[in-house]
Amino acid sequence: MTEYDYEELGLVAGLEIHQQLDTATKLFCDSPTVRREPEEATRTFTRYLHPTRSELGEIDDAALEESRVDREFEYLAYDTTCLVEEDDEPPAKLDAEALDVVMQISELMEMSVVDQAHVMRKIVVDGSNTSGFQRSSLIAQDGEIQTSEGAVGIEDLMLEEESAQRIEERDDGVLYSLDRLGIPLVEIGTKPDISSPEQAREAAETIGMLLRSTGKVKRGLGTIRQDVNVSIADGARVEMKGVQSLDDIDDIVRNEVGRQVELLAIRDELQQRDAHVGEPQDVTDVFADSDSGVIRGALDSGGKVTGVRLAGFDGLVGRELQPDRRLGTELSDHAKRHGAGGIFHTDELPAYGVTEEEVDALREAVGAEPEDAVAIVAADSQTADLAIDAAAVRAEAAIEGVPEETRGANDDGTTRYLRPLPGAARMYPETDVPPVEPDPSEVEVPELLTEKVERYQSEFGLDAGLAEQVAYGRRMPLFERAVDDGADPTFVAGLVESTVTELRRDDVPVENLDDEQLLAVVALVTDGDLAKEGVNEVLALLAENPQLSAEEAVEEAGLSGVSEDEVRDAVVEVVERNESQVENEGMAAFSGLMGEAMGALRGRADGEIVSSVLREEIQKRA
Amino acid sequence: MNAGDRIRVERGGVTNEGVLMPSTTADHLVVKLDGGYNVGIEREDAEIDVLETDVYDVGETQSDEGESSEIEFDDDLPTISLISTGGTIASTVDYRTGAVTAQFDAEDVLRAVPDLAGRANYRGRVVANILSENMTPDVWRDLAQAVYEEIDAGADGVVVMHGTDTMQFSASALSFMLDTPVPIVFTGSQRSADRPSSDNVMNAVCAVEAAKSDAAEVMVCMHGTESDDVCALHRGTRVRKNHTSRRDAFETVGAKPLGEVDYDAEEVTFRRDHAERGAVELDLAADIDGEVELVKFTPGMDPAALDYLDGKSGVVIEGTGLGHVHTDLIPRVEELVDDGTTVVMTSQCISGRVCDRVYDTGRDLLDAGVVEAGDTLPGTAKVKLMWALSNLGDPADAMGRNLVGELQEESKPWT
Repeated sequence: MTEYDYEELGLVAGLEIHQQLDTATKLFCDSPTVRREPEEATRTFTRYLHPTRSELGEIDDAALEESRVDREFEYLAYDTTCLVEEDDEPPAKLDAEALDVVMQISELMEMSVVDQAHVMRKIVVDGSNTSGFQRSSLIAQDGEIQTSEGAVGIEDLMLEEESAQRIEERDDGVLYSLDRLGIPLVEIGTKPDISSPEQAREAAETIGMLLRSTGKVKRGLGTIRQDVNVSIADGARVEMKGVQSLDDIDDIVRNEVGRQVELLAIRDELQQRDAHVGEPQDVTDVFADSDSGVIRGALDSGGKVTGVRLAGFDGLVGRELQPDRRLGTELSDHAKRHGAGGIFHTDELPAYGVTEEEVDALREAVGAEPEDAVAIVAADSQTADLAIDAAAVRAEAAIEGVPEETRGANDDGTTRYLRPLPGAARMYPETDVPPVEPDPSEVEVPELLTEKVERYQSEFGLDAGLAEQVAYGRRMPLFERAVDDGADPTFVAGLVESTVTELRRDDVPVENLDDEQLLAVVALVTDGDLAKEGVNEVLALLAENPQLSAEEAVEEAGLSGVSEDEVRDAVVEVVERNESQVENEGMAAFSGLMGEAMGALRGRADGEIVSSVLREEIQKRA
Repeated sequence: MNAGDRIRVERGGVTNEGVLMPSTTADHLVVKLDGGYNVGIEREDAEIDVLETDVYDVGETQSDEGESSEIEFDDDLPTISLISTGGTIASTVDYRTGAVTAQFDAEDVLRAVPDLAGRANYRGRVVANILSENMTPDVWRDLAQAVYEEIDAGADGVVVMHGTDTMQFSASALSFMLDTPVPIVFTGSQRSADRPSSDNVMNAVCAVEAAKSDAAEVMVCMHGTESDDVCALHRGTRVRKNHTSRRDAFETVGAKPLGEVDYDAEEVTFRRDHAERGAVELDLAADIDGEVELVKFTPGMDPAALDYLDGKSGVVIEGTGLGHVHTDLIPRVEELVDDGTTVVMTSQCISGRVCDRVYDTGRDLLDAGVVEAGDTLPGTAKVKLMWALSNLGDPADAMGRNLVGELQEESKPWT
């Protein structure tokens, strides 16, 4: 990858971080915030969406483009979702717990909470919200975080509802799952203060740490998403959606800078060549006898082939913008948005079963000169028209430079075209939800994870590695609750970080263990009702039989009710059995006998007690 | 400083710029920021600069734009009259109050629902612009008169856009008031028209398709399921809103719906016999007696609750079970009947037929002069009695008979 001089290019980047909150209920109804498997759906229904005008009388470009495709959306509903997710009941009031968490986040980022928060409808007609809009509310403004390359301003913080999960893309629509819809989501937008790919990544890491410090955010794949805005001088603002991994952020920024640099170079070349884009036309005749699979398929099912002359584009459509992504890929992305499989262009033809003769005939049909390129689409009649128009519009934009747009992150650090940039017009007030006046004065500022790491070392004596593991780990809130309840910090830290991992490695279904069960087991240990040595066995039993209580599991494992007298009986038995060894070796026999005694008690007794009793008994006899 | 002005507000160290919105109150300025978010800023200690006046005409809707609403006439298409009474289907957000209100006339509906284009030639007419909870018998009369005039002027079908709260009452009223040779189809929406997911588009399209069909009935056309797949056609006198918010809130009581409109296939099918197009001459009998009350009996009811019924022309009781009230109330009922009030019994069970011959209480009510309304819905019975008192010689007799499909002679709820 080329390294650029980002300062010279005038790189300006900003981040938008979306993080799901781990609240008891959803943002606008009482459904739990649990995720489900599609197979668990109890019912389904289908809907269409129609764009509406905002209160300022404008229809959003993004919404309009979306609605050009008449798509049917099917939704999966569960016994954990209700009519609010189905847009068949008005929303309840804004969830108080979620508001409390985002005010904590605001405090951590030194933001000002607004006097009065208004819930807005952000128009989204891709079906991911049953209503056709996402409810979102501006809660705080104007904060700051620190990075090693300087401070990054935080523009705003929004509390919004998570969208429905896309399950399946279909020819004429999309299948969505409602379990995710309505989970509270905090959106944090930075100011465009970021000036290098590394700083972008560091800022995202810091924000992630602050969010997790609340102990109230969801963990796991897809629960945090990063959007990155990038522009360079002469380029344009491009918003890249859905970067799943923090590790990709710097690559995404680098690749986008590269894309804009290449697009500007193509622009200069096109302008020099006096390039322009012709009128799209029907070129089916050229391909009447084509052996190309794609074209044949379209024509045989009654479709057609449309083409457009790209005057002055020869050689540039095939030019690479990002690893393995060309200007032609961009045209293709636009065509795909309208239902086509993509485009073919003359920079890559003959190929895909299209012959040289057909390419020549195509050039002739659209009047293309040698310095021109031609793009074609084969699809059903309506799609072929819409898709070639879209590709032509994108080609025209290439003559102007870098178009402003929304792009989606691919797994390899490249991006693809998604839709035009949404404008302000996509918002109007959610009249079903009254404004709220948040009161940040009551909010408890959470301890930062970085501070926790320090405290776990100084207060609990954990080593630095374990302290960080616990603080940043998913079971940090559980750890703190257990320690608050009087449990031994080292024991709990080992339990949540090592024991559970060990059990998983032994194929124990640890995902069945909930926090309450783990806490109950810890409490039994703290109260001396269960030896630490028996914990693994009890947890394994609980994981296999989640319906058992911790006490029942202890009983079932036969690990309950070992009094000190029983320990002494068992130890005395062992000592007596090895009487001569004890007499000969004295305390040196301890370690061998300890193992035997523990074995005799089968983990039902605490090792410390066994050890002290054994010591006593050996001393008596030595 | 007025709504629509671009302002800059500084308060508590935060500066915001944006358009002042009409939802501003005495305590809070509501500003639409450039990102589209509205935010409320306390006026106290706020420093305000007006940057530019009248940036946006925020109070106006697109209905005032210069878009041409000329509708081309196509000889091959039937003519459907769209009559608006207000309600959610034709509503938009009122940015002063923040509430959803009706602001469109019938032509605006055409603009709001472009999918209607090409299905018919349309005539637009506004009879009222009210939310349906504010509907009155006077408006029923105006509505029946307007529908009569539209059909008389050649409409091949009528679509009435109506709020859903009292749609079943208006549909009943028109069922009794009009002999119609063409379909009269009521429709509305449960989810407001300002949301992309509104049911208004599909309901309006299906209603127009139903109005083009051969069923010369007063019908209600609303979602048949929670999906955007099928609208149900309910007979106006047998339909009831059975849910506060679901799209498929409307149900035919005691039977399956009269028919369906398949949204994708644009196909209208009927399940049972219906009046055929052109079978009767257009006629209007819009007189109605406003002095009728619907009274629901519940345990613990204060007998004084019946006192205000003195002097009424008619009373419909929504009794318990087969059609009962507390035994102690029967003498009061008898007094009403003796004073010339027609007293009609219906059941709060919603489904099923009243039968006052089974228990003593019922027999006593019959002896007191109460008329059984069969399986007529309580709301429909009220409208029917209002109409019968003004138009028929023996209203009490009529309440026990079927006139326009409101009373099913046979109980076959599975059909």
